[in-house]
Amino acid sequence: MDTITLAGPLEAKLKAVREAGFTQIMLNATDIVGHPGGEAAAVAAVRSSGLRVTGFQVLRDFEGLSGTLHAYKVDVAKGMLEMCHALGSTVLLACSTVSPHSTHDFSLIKKDLQKLAMLAVPLNIRIAYEALSWGRHVNLFPQSWEIVAEADRANLGLCLDSFHILAHGTELEPLEDIDAHKIFLVQLSDFLWQETRSAEERIETARHSRVFPGEGVHSDKVAAIVRQLDETGYRGDYSFEVFNDDYRQLPLPMVAERARRSVKWITGVVSRRSLPARRATAAGGAG
Amino acid sequence: MTARAERLPEPSNPLGIDGIEFVEYATSQAQAFGAVLQKMGFAPVARHRSREVTLYRQGSMNLIVNSDSPSGKNEPDKTPTLAAIALRVRDAGQAFQHSLDLGAWEMPTRAAAMELHIPGIHGVGDSLIYFVDRYRDFAIYDVDFVFDSNAKPDPPALAGLHWFGLVQAILPDRTADWLDFYRTLFGFQVLPRGKYFGVLPKGTLLESPCRKFYLQLIEPPAGAEEVRWNEGLVRVGLGAPDVPKAVKALQQRGVVFVDHGAVQPSDKGALTQVYLGGATFELVVSHL
Repeated sequence: MDTITLAGPLEAKLKAVREAGFTQIMLNATDIVGHPGGEAAAVAAVRSSGLRVTGFQVLRDFEGLSGTLHAYKVDVAKGMLEMCHALGSTVLLACSTVSPHSTHDFSLIKKDLQKLAMLAVPLNIRIAYEALSWGRHVNLFPQSWEIVAEADRANLGLCLDSFHILAHGTELEPLEDIDAHKIFLVQLSDFLWQETRSAEERIETARHSRVFPGEGVHSDKVAAIVRQLDETGYRGDYSFEVFNDDYRQLPLPMVAERARRSVKWITGVVSRRSLPARRATAAGGAG
Repeated sequence: MTARAERLPEPSNPLGIDGIEFVEYATSQAQAFGAVLQKMGFAPVARHRSREVTLYRQGSMNLIVNSDSPSGKNEPDKTPTLAAIALRVRDAGQAFQHSLDLGAWEMPTRAAAMELHIPGIHGVGDSLIYFVDRYRDFAIYDVDFVFDSNAKPDPPALAGLHWFGLVQAILPDRTADWLDFYRTLFGFQVLPRGKYFGVLPKGTLLESPCRKFYLQLIEPPAGAEEVRWNEGLVRVGLGAPDVPKAVKALQQRGVVFVDHGAVQPSDKGALTQVYLGGATFELVVSHL
C-alpha cells in the first residue's frame, strides 16, 4: 500500500497496513517531514514497523531546467535522496516534469536524468522515472522508456502507473518492448468513469478519485497490464497508488481491507504462477 | 561491458587523471597504525601544522594518517579505514566542476585532512575523492605540513613498492551502478573478464584512464548472506616488480602474510594478515 491513500499519522498508517497483511509500504516525503516528532522519529517509526519500504516519492519537475532553476532542483533532489536513504528505501520515484520552464529537448532531459542517477549511486538508490499523463513533454510510457533506454544507466529505470496508462488510453503493446529489468516499480489503481478528456480532468481524477484495482471501470485493462508485465518477465514490486478523498476520511482498517480485497481480486483475475501475492518469498511482493 | 571496453582501445581521460597523489587512512590509533606502516616500509616524514595528521612516504607513494576529530564529529574509528584517495588531475577546479555537473556530491566542508583547499567529492561509503593538480613543481604538503628535519623527505621504496590500486567492497548487484560512476566521472575502463592480477582474482577490475592504477569492485561472495558487508574502500594494493623478493623484505621487518589456502604468497601476489581489526595490504606483481 501507499501512505497517500490513508489519513492520519504515519504510525497509524503503518499499523493499518501491517495489520491488513501487507509486508511493504510506499512512502511519501510528507510522511517524514510532517511528522510531529521530526524526521528522525518518522524514520525510526518506519524502521521499527517491520515493513519493507517499496519506494519513496516524489521528486517533481527535475528534468529539462537550466541555470538557477536546475541548481535549485539538484538541491531538492539531494534532500529527497538523503531522506530516501535514511528510510532504507532503494527506489526514488521521479515524475516527468510539468514545468513550463522546462525544455522539450529529449537529449537534455536524458542528460538531467543521467545526473540524477549519478547522484543516487553512492546512496544505493535507483531512480524510477514515471510518465505523468499530464507531463509537459513526457506523458506516455513509451516516451519515458525511450529516454531511460537511451540514458543507459544501471540505476535509472521506469515506474509504470496504470492510472496514467488508462487515463490516456495508451496501447499496451509497447510494454512488450520494455526490458523488464528496467521497470523498477509498478503502481496500480483504477477510476470510476470511462474517460478523462483533458489534462485538467486527468489531474483532478488522479489526485482525488482513484480507486483500488477491481473497484473501477477499467478492470479488464488493469488485469491486462499485470498479465502483460508478468509475461515480459517483470518480477518487481507492485504498489497501490490510490489518491482518493473519500478514503482519506474513512477508518484506516476499512481502507486497508479494501486494499486487501484488491490483492485478492488481482490474484483471481490473473491467477497464474508468478503473481506477486503468490511469490511471498521471492524478491517481489505486493505493497 | 567487455565488448565496449574492447571497442575503445584508447581511453578517454576527461580529467587528465595522472595517478594517485595520496591515500588517506582515518584511525584513532595513529601510533599503532604508524608502527604497522613502518613495517610495510613507509616512513613518517611530516606532521600537519595544526591537526593530528601525519604524512608517510615510501618511494612514489604518499600516505596520510588522519586521527583528527573535526569539531562536532566523533573521533575516527579505532580500526584504520581508507578515508580518501587523492587523484592527480590536470586542473583540480575543473575536475571538481566537471564531476558536480555530472552528478557527483560535493564533499562536506572541513572533512578534509588539509587546510589547503583541495576540492573533493563523495566516493563510496564515507570515503572521499580529492583532486590535486599541484604535484609537479610544488607539493600540497609544503603548505600544511612541517617536515621532520631528522628524516629523509623522500625515503626510497622497499623492493620497488608502488601504488597498484584499491579494492572496493560493494553491495550485491551493485557492480553496474559503480561502473557507471567510475566510467562516467573519470573515464575508467573495465578490463575483460578473467583478466586479473594478484592472488585474489574476483569481482570486476577497472583500469584508470591514465593506466597507472586499478580499482577492483567486489560484491559479497555467494553464501555470505550472513556476513555484515558494507560498501567502502577495503584495502590498497601495492605493486612489486618481484613479489617473493618484496615478501621476504617485508617479512624481515616483521610483516606477517597469510600463508595458507589460495592467497598464500606466490609470484603473482600476497596478502598480509589483518592489522588493528581491519587493515590489510595486498602485494601484486606489477608492470606499472
